[in-house]
Amino acid sequence: MNTIVSVKNATKNYLLGKVVVPALRGVSLDVAEGEFLSIAGPSGSGKTTLLNLIGCVDTPTDGTVEVAGKNTRQLSERALTELRLNTIGFIFQSFNLVSVLSVFQNVELPLLLQRKLSGGERRKRVLELLERVGLSGHVEHRPSELSGGQRQRVAIARALVTRPQLVLADEPTANLDSVTGKNILDLMKELNRTERTTFIFSTHDAQVMSHASSVIRLADGKLLDRLTGADAIAAGVVRPSHTAGMA
Amino acid sequence: MRQGYLATFGVITRIAFRNLFASRLKTIIVGGIILFGALLVVVGSSFVDSIVAGMRRSIVGSVAGDIQVYSSKSKDPLDVMGSFSLEGADLAPLDDFTKVRKTLESVPGVKSVVPMGVNGAIVPSGNTIDLALAHLRELVRRKIDGKASAADLAAYEAEKGHVRQILSVLQGDMGNAKLLKDEKALADPDADADAEAVARAVSPQFWASFDAKPLDSLEFLENRIAPQATDADMLFLRYVGTDPAMFTKSFDRMKIVDGQNIPEGKRGFLFSKFVYEEQVKLKTARRLDKIRIARDERGERIAKDSELQRFVRENSTQVREIILQLDTPKTNLFRQRLQAKLGSSEPDVAKLLAELFKTTDANFDDRYKFFYTQLAPSLELYRIRIGDILTIKAFTRSGYVQSVNVPVYGTFDFTGLEKSPQAGALNLMDMVSFRDLYGFLTAERSKEISDLKAAMNARDISRDNAEAELFGSRPEPDQAAAAKPTPPAPRTIVAEATPGIRPPTSEGVGGKLAREELVRRVYDPSQLESGSVLNAAVILQDDRKVPETIKAIEEAGKRDGLPLKAISWQEASGFIGQLVVAFQAVLLVLVLIIFLVALVIISNALVMATLQRVQEIGTLRAVGAQRRFILSMLIIEAVVVGVIFGGLGAALGAVVVAALGKVGIPAPNDVSYFFFSGPRLHVTLATANLVKALAIVFVVSGVSSLYPAWLAMRVNPRQAMQSEES
Repeated sequence: MNTIVSVKNATKNYLLGKVVVPALRGVSLDVAEGEFLSIAGPSGSGKTTLLNLIGCVDTPTDGTVEVAGKNTRQLSERALTELRLNTIGFIFQSFNLVSVLSVFQNVELPLLLQRKLSGGERRKRVLELLERVGLSGHVEHRPSELSGGQRQRVAIARALVTRPQLVLADEPTANLDSVTGKNILDLMKELNRTERTTFIFSTHDAQVMSHASSVIRLADGKLLDRLTGADAIAAGVVRPSHTAGMA
Repeated sequence: MRQGYLATFGVITRIAFRNLFASRLKTIIVGGIILFGALLVVVGSSFVDSIVAGMRRSIVGSVAGDIQVYSSKSKDPLDVMGSFSLEGADLAPLDDFTKVRKTLESVPGVKSVVPMGVNGAIVPSGNTIDLALAHLRELVRRKIDGKASAADLAAYEAEKGHVRQILSVLQGDMGNAKLLKDEKALADPDADADAEAVARAVSPQFWASFDAKPLDSLEFLENRIAPQATDADMLFLRYVGTDPAMFTKSFDRMKIVDGQNIPEGKRGFLFSKFVYEEQVKLKTARRLDKIRIARDERGERIAKDSELQRFVRENSTQVREIILQLDTPKTNLFRQRLQAKLGSSEPDVAKLLAELFKTTDANFDDRYKFFYTQLAPSLELYRIRIGDILTIKAFTRSGYVQSVNVPVYGTFDFTGLEKSPQAGALNLMDMVSFRDLYGFLTAERSKEISDLKAAMNARDISRDNAEAELFGSRPEPDQAAAAKPTPPAPRTIVAEATPGIRPPTSEGVGGKLAREELVRRVYDPSQLESGSVLNAAVILQDDRKVPETIKAIEEAGKRDGLPLKAISWQEASGFIGQLVVAFQAVLLVLVLIIFLVALVIISNALVMATLQRVQEIGTLRAVGAQRRFILSMLIIEAVVVGVIFGGLGAALGAVVVAALGKVGIPAPNDVSYFFFSGPRLHVTLATANLVKALAIVFVVSGVSSLYPAWLAMRVNPRQAMQSEES
């Protein structure tokens, strides 16, 4: 299997005033195509920073991050944006839909930015995806008219509409109740299986982790270990219960 | 790909529009400011443009013409309207007007050329007591000669009463003056002697013996009393010397109000109706007129307006001007009528008049009517009457005193500018009289003078050593002035009016004029054409071609060897012309300030809006929107607001202007008549103002979105991830 993401000894320091805050201290990680990878760890462990590096919204202070074979440190701002647009889909904890656009327009947005498809093709693709996520009946709704779970489905559709190789999800279920969260996760899992799209998501939720093909654990900006989903459950890292905020 | 661009633009616009709608409050605030700004620019610049156009019509139509031409050799710039001082601008004359006219008329687009010259004269009003004594002496002589008719005898008695009336006013004045002066002044022996003389003149004994030795009594009055009487106000007249027929034809707003125009080939003077009413009319009557106008036309009330209260006060305290006009029969008539009107038994006419003029809003109309129907017919309402001869004396430019008799033919004003002090400041005189007073030397006169000089063995003496040359020693300054052979600018013109305060003769204007020596006042029209002028007004066929024509005129002057300098109406009207520029500058500053404030407010609102949208912008960036997408989005938002609200504001402004144009803004005071070029300003809308408003709005909304757009571009896609937890 091809490696889609390759992180080698990546460090990331943030400047907080005059103080250098190390967020990642030398993380190495390979993600193969088609994985359903969970990044686990407590708050401040560097989960979001690692996702940012992989998602090309940030570049490492040291070390390398390669996404789809491209070293992000060598890319310009524009090229990084291009890479995000064409290769990566994003799912956010608080959904981040454009509130003034309808469901259809939100999903269509990345296609418009790509400028590759005609209007008809775009429409077909958007409606297809909305059907996949079960929102065919809400095409013209505004995000504010939808429930949290429905909004996250719209976000998933938006993340997948460009058929990206990689989808990044930052705490995708944190703002949802457990039943809805599970449904969302099931949807992601299903898309992972049918589309062969690689998913990387951060979470504290052990329940969520149990769905992962593998779980990496971060603490203090360092990679603790990498377990398969089954190993994680076996090791007690992941308990099949719904308890947020555990280490 | 092209379709992709369009679709992207579509989505940007859609997001922009949706955002505007979503953040309604911001949009309304920003849009409101833009709307107001556009409205202000349209209405403000239309208003100022209309005032400028109004002033232009006033200035061009009343004296200046579109272009003024004068000699380029002049020391001062020409100012046909602004200067209210005695000293006019030092202008070199244009010697031969025929040539000047020919040259000017050869310039394309010139409709007509009016010769001109502006100058001023002082008219000391005749001393009332001198006039009354002169009249009395005339009657005394007839009586002594035994030629007095019954009417003359009655007039004799009346005039005696008149003189006594004047004397008692004089005594009252002296008493008042005494109260004001300190003891030192009282100790002045002359003052005592004067007071004694007046006391004697008022005494019944003096008048009892008057009939017995009238000539001695008159001499006493003339020598001892008359010098003590103070003159009424001096009158300063500014006049334009011109060809009256040409002037009337070229300035078509001019119309004759009283009397007639100066006939062709005649010397004459026309009063501006404004000057005639404001300065020549009996002050009490003028104040009554002003109160009436304020009440009837502007709806003001004596009780509420301090200026009207002042008029009432002045009318009731300053009855002297009327009293001085009253001889015995008139005094009796006034007493009788005033007592009946006021239901009073007060015998003193001065007190009765004071009481009459203490008007209130309730009785004003009634007393106004009473004054004009019952009292005014016995009064001389104007110091100078139509048909009087004005003798205007002047120190001419070449140094000798010249005097010219000009009959007052009538009064004139300019349609729409009747109440404007600016348009009404200039009186009119025929060009030939003007030249005599200004002292242009014709070739003949110049030769005559040099012949005289040669005959008398006179030599030229420079001004600086004139005293030494002429007197051998340093004389008194006024002697030196008298001795100046070529004074630098002796344009302080003293004029004397013919007696204004005389009972009207039964003769009409024509009869009175016929008595004058016609020879003096008739001239050959060619004389008017060929002589010198100071300046000339040029009226154009197309008033938009002023700058080109100025150029063409100066070129034509060079071609024909004439020292012609041409200036626009605006330059020629001096201070008033500069007001136009001032108005425009004030508006510009106002607009700049408003838009600067708008810029800050709009920019602030947009910055706030941007900060609220950091997550949305971050999301767009994370999802793959380039920075320029974000930039376009924000600029489109700003421009959409600018265009919609700016357009709305401009449209609203156009409606307001149209309404103002239809109804017209009433002139708030007399001065504004000039700026409004009439009683109401009808504001007109120029397309340029709409374009200007939209352009300014466009620039302001564009510029104000720059900083927020820059902020938005710097939003990091990472910020999309920022939520409660990270």
